[in-house]
This record gives sequence, structure tokens and C-alpha cells, in this order.
Amino acid sequence: MVKVGIMGLTGCSGCQCEILNCEDAIGKLLGKVEFVYFPLAQDVNEFSDFDILFVEGSVSTNLDREKLIKGRERAKILVAVGTCACYGGVQSQRNDEASLEEMLRTVYGNVKLDVEVFKPVPLRDVVEVDYELPGCPLDKRQFVYTVASLLNGVEPFFPKIPVCHECKLSETDCLLLKGVPCQGPVSFSGCGAPCTSAGVGCQGCRGNCDFPNFDELLSIYREIGLPFDDSVRFLKVFRGKTISGLKVRFSDEKGA
Amino acid sequence: MKRELNVNHLSRVEGHGAVDIVFENERLKEIRLRFTEGPRFFEFITRERLYSEIPKIVSRICGICYVSHRLASAFAIEDAFGVKVSREVELLRRLLVVGEYLESHALHLYFLALPDYMGYPGAIQMAKDYPNIVKRGFRIKELGNRIMKLIGGKTVHGENILAGGFASFPNREALESVGNELRSIIPELEATLSLFDSLDYPEFTSKVSVAVSVDSKDVTEFSDAVSTSDGVRFTRKEYELFIKEETVPYTTAKVSKLEGEPFLIGPLSRVNLHLKELHPAVKKELALLKTNFPSKNSFHSNVARAVELLNVAYRGVEIVEELLNCEPASSEISVEPRAGTGYGVKEAPRGTLYHRYTFSEDGHCTGANIITPTAQLQAAIESDLRNLTETYSSVSDKELKKLAEMLIRAYDP
Repeated sequence: MVKVGIMGLTGCSGCQCEILNCEDAIGKLLGKVEFVYFPLAQDVNEFSDFDILFVEGSVSTNLDREKLIKGRERAKILVAVGTCACYGGVQSQRNDEASLEEMLRTVYGNVKLDVEVFKPVPLRDVVEVDYELPGCPLDKRQFVYTVASLLNGVEPFFPKIPVCHECKLSETDCLLLKGVPCQGPVSFSGCGAPCTSAGVGCQGCRGNCDFPNFDELLSIYREIGLPFDDSVRFLKVFRGKTISGLKVRFSDEKGA
Repeated sequence: MKRELNVNHLSRVEGHGAVDIVFENERLKEIRLRFTEGPRFFEFITRERLYSEIPKIVSRICGICYVSHRLASAFAIEDAFGVKVSREVELLRRLLVVGEYLESHALHLYFLALPDYMGYPGAIQMAKDYPNIVKRGFRIKELGNRIMKLIGGKTVHGENILAGGFASFPNREALESVGNELRSIIPELEATLSLFDSLDYPEFTSKVSVAVSVDSKDVTEFSDAVSTSDGVRFTRKEYELFIKEETVPYTTAKVSKLEGEPFLIGPLSRVNLHLKELHPAVKKELALLKTNFPSKNSFHSNVARAVELLNVAYRGVEIVEELLNCEPASSEISVEPRAGTGYGVKEAPRGTLYHRYTFSEDGHCTGANIITPTAQLQAAIESDLRNLTETYSSVSDKELKKLAEMLIRAYDP
């Protein structure tokens, strides 16, 4: 039996719920894998050796860090699931705009918490990560594909092409041409573009595609009337520090 | 002599929690329920963001009740900017809530709670002996997911749920099929109710006396006001005057009290408070149960969840019919920002949720406050745990730990 663990750090558990939504796949997996660690779903959890360990959430406290380091030591393959684990998640979008003290003061006032808190960071800032499945939440088909590939000794492969490619495949009209702010041209596909087909612009929850051209996209946003600072903030929500390729600065010099 | 019972990692709950039960000279000294989830600074990261970004950001507070966070923030934004949504938007939001409850309650009942009562570590292990019961859980959850995907665009964190409405509406055929599926799931929900009614719940009487819920007949209707079992009614603008939050060092969730006392929210409070307003078909089922409502036994929250499941399915059928008779409206969203503060309340599956935002003239958020159900429940759960430890003073430490875990799970924090 292949030993699989599913671990949650600081996040919303949405990715673990999405994994639980893979009903058929879980049923088929049960003959081949054993969930030795999955605290969201079971109360007998063994922190032993893992063949594959999936980790959701960002690293935000000393407890997160200790758990992750211990998990890495015991895992043959470690897979980051979801945007928090891959890029830091929404909670890290203002890491570069303020100090930790300011963030804590805004939420907790002057009370000092027992737990040691730091700015939320992705797994790869703390340990070595073998595969990343971004998305907020991750796409369950990609989860199933990854598990199936790893069980069969095949290297999973995720082409970093833009979401625009998926809109072409699903024959979804281009939203940017209609004046709707969309991050499709700079975002990593693999989700099947459900947001654009519902008429909402891509929010970039899966992070960057290869060679994202932010400057060009910002000039399109300017044309459709989205103010520059708001455009940059819009792009930052899910990208964390991975947006650092951007050559531009906030007009009020707060840094992008 | 000091002795401590600790559950360091609560399993089968969303999020991360721990409990310490401290005895001194064999007498209960202290109970600490600690949420060790790292802080995510939502009241900070929403600042300086444009109003249109807010529902998307706060959606990420919870992957199970994201619909509630999105709607509560949408209500607050619409309140701040004086936006009135169309009848069709209102109905679609109500149908979305039907999906949310089917998913969240089925997940809780079948996957988080039931293994305790059936003697299994989890649903995956339970599936070997009870495949059809686990399948039923999956089927209900799946329908909830399908409704959320249809209206919101995705099963989790659907981006089509916006301030002012939706960027697109589902078509007639899709709505008709949701109506049919809701009708066909009703026997499964009746079976769920009789299953959860038949379980052996520990004897227990909560000492927390006040129950709170949004002032509407059930979770599929929205309101600007909140009511309590004491007969007090307050508006969403008054929420923070009644529900006071404080920060304590041992937990990253804040602790809320109503007039200095713990209070109850969630499925059991809602069913107790709005018993007379349940759907007539649900009332009929209720008369056949061995569980009596109103109930003060916190473990009966599980039966209350099953009652709500059946109730939302019946309401869902009505909502779909009303939607099909609606004049088709345009899905165009018109929200014009202006300076001001807005408030939103919503019954999330685990209890009342409150959002407040202040905006500048051009629609940037300058301040936010979010009071989650888990934070509001912390004081009530601690009170119940103290009560449980006293009620079950003669059981072994192992049994007491198990009971404490089951009690906490019943609140679905």
C-alpha cells in the first residue's frame, strides 16, 4: 500500500474539501493507497513515513513550520496543493506593503499571542517542494492526475500556458475585449477557465504562466478604465511575491 | 496537585484546534479551547482594496462556508452604496444558500460527525462496512456542489458571487434540472434525518441560556436584523454594540460575548428559535422523531443539521419554481461607490456571521470587521466543556477526551 498524507497548514481547508469531492477517484484509490495522515477526515493519524505528502496552506506560525519540516523529513514526495502552499495565498498579498507589527495591530490590537506568528510564506520558502498544484482551490482533476501519475511512476507535467488558451478551447468570448478586467493572459491555465465562462474575469488564482507580460496587460487595463494602482493590487491578490517581474511602481511609491 | 488533559490536535474539524482541561486537587480549574490556526489578517488585507475585490478576498476565510462570507460582504457593500438587487438576484442567492447547506451539513454529518457514533476513525474507514451510507453523504454533498457551481461558477470559491448580483445567470434548463434533483434527494434527506435521530447522543444540558440567529424564518431568507431567545431584536448596525469581541493570548480566534455572557448560535439555535416556521412537510417529520425540539442538548446540533437539510431542500424546490416564473432580468451589475459604512449579517452553516466595511468615496476599503461564527462560539463551547467535565466526572480520562471532542465537533467550528 502506498502511504499518503494530507496535511493542512494556515488556510481555509478549501483544497482538502476539493480533495474530498473526488468521490470516484477516492473509491478507486482505496485499494492501492492508505491515508495514514488526514486529520480533517479521520482521527487516527500516524506521522510516520509518507510515500506522498500533500500539504495545503501557507506557513504562518512556528507550529506550521515545525509540522512542515517534520513532514518533509518523512516524505519521499512532497506536493504543495493550492495557492497558499504554492505562493502564500491571499493572506500574503500585502506582505510587501506593511510590517508584521502593523498587520497584527490592525487585527489583534496590543494583545500578544502565545503562538509565534510571521508573515505568511509559501512552502518552498521553508522546505524543498517536489510538485506544486496551485489554484484557489486546486483543481480536483489535477489532483487525480497527479496521484495517478505518481502511482504509476510517471512524472506529472503541467504546461504553464495562459488561461486564454482554455477560453479558446471552450469558445468563451474574450472578456478583455468587452472591457472586463481579466488576468487570463498572464495566468497559469489548468483550471478549465470556469470563471471566464461564467462571465467573470480570470482572477489569477493559479499564479503566473510562463513569460507573463504584466506591462502590456496593465496598458490594456488603463484603456478599459481601471486605475493604475487598483490594477496592480488586482494582479497581486493571489500572486504574492511572484509578481516581482513587474517593472512598474505604485504611483504613490508604496511598492508593487 | 495539578493534572492536565490535552487534546493537542482536534481532528475532523475544519481548522486547527486544541483543548486543555486543567484539574487542581482533582477539581476542575480551567478549560482552554485554543484555535491554533495561523492568523490571516483579513481585516488588514482588505484595506486599500477596491470594493469589487472584497467578496473574492473574504471568500478565502473558509473553504466550506465561502458562500456565506461572499454574501455577507456583498450585503455590506450594497448597504454602504445604497444598492438594491433585483428579485432574480435575491432568489438566485437563496438557491445558492440551499447548495451551500446541502454541501456543508452533509460534509459535517457524514464525514466529520457520524464516524464517532458508528465507532470508526473516519468516513473512509467506515465506507468498508457502510458503503451505502457513505455514498448517501457523497450524493447530498454532490448536489450541493452542483448548485454552487451552477450559480457561482466553481464548487469552492465561485467567483460569480459579487456585490450587486451575478455576472451571469443559469439558464432555464439548468434550473429545471436543479428543481428535479432537489425533489429526488428528499427521500435521502428523510433517511438522513431518521439516521441522525436514531443515534445515541450523550445526556447533556447546556447552561448557555441565550440563543441568537438572524431574524428570518430560515437560512434561505436574509434579514437586516438579529433576534435572541430573550426576545431582543437588534439591527445589523447594532451588532457590535451587542456582540463584544475580545482578544485572549491563547487563541488566534477572538472571544465574543453578549452582555458579558457566552451565547449560542448555529443549527440547534436556529431550529429551536424558528421551530414554527419550518416547512410543513418538515414539521410532520419532526413529530415522528425521538429527539424533542427545542433541545438544550448541544449534541442534538447534529439532528438539527439533518432537520435543516430537509428544510432547505423543500425551500429550494419553491425557490426554483419562483425563479422559473420570474421575468428574465438582465444580469448587468450596477454598483456606484460612495463614501460610507455598510453592514452584512448572514446565517452561515455554523452560525451567525457579521461583516462591516468602510469605504472611501472612490470605493476603496478603509476599515473592516469580520466576526466569524467560530469566534462567537468559543465562549459557549468552553462553557459547555466545563459543564461536560462536571457532568461526567466519574468517567475515565480517555472517555472524557472522546466526549469533549464529540462536543466540540457538534459545533462544527
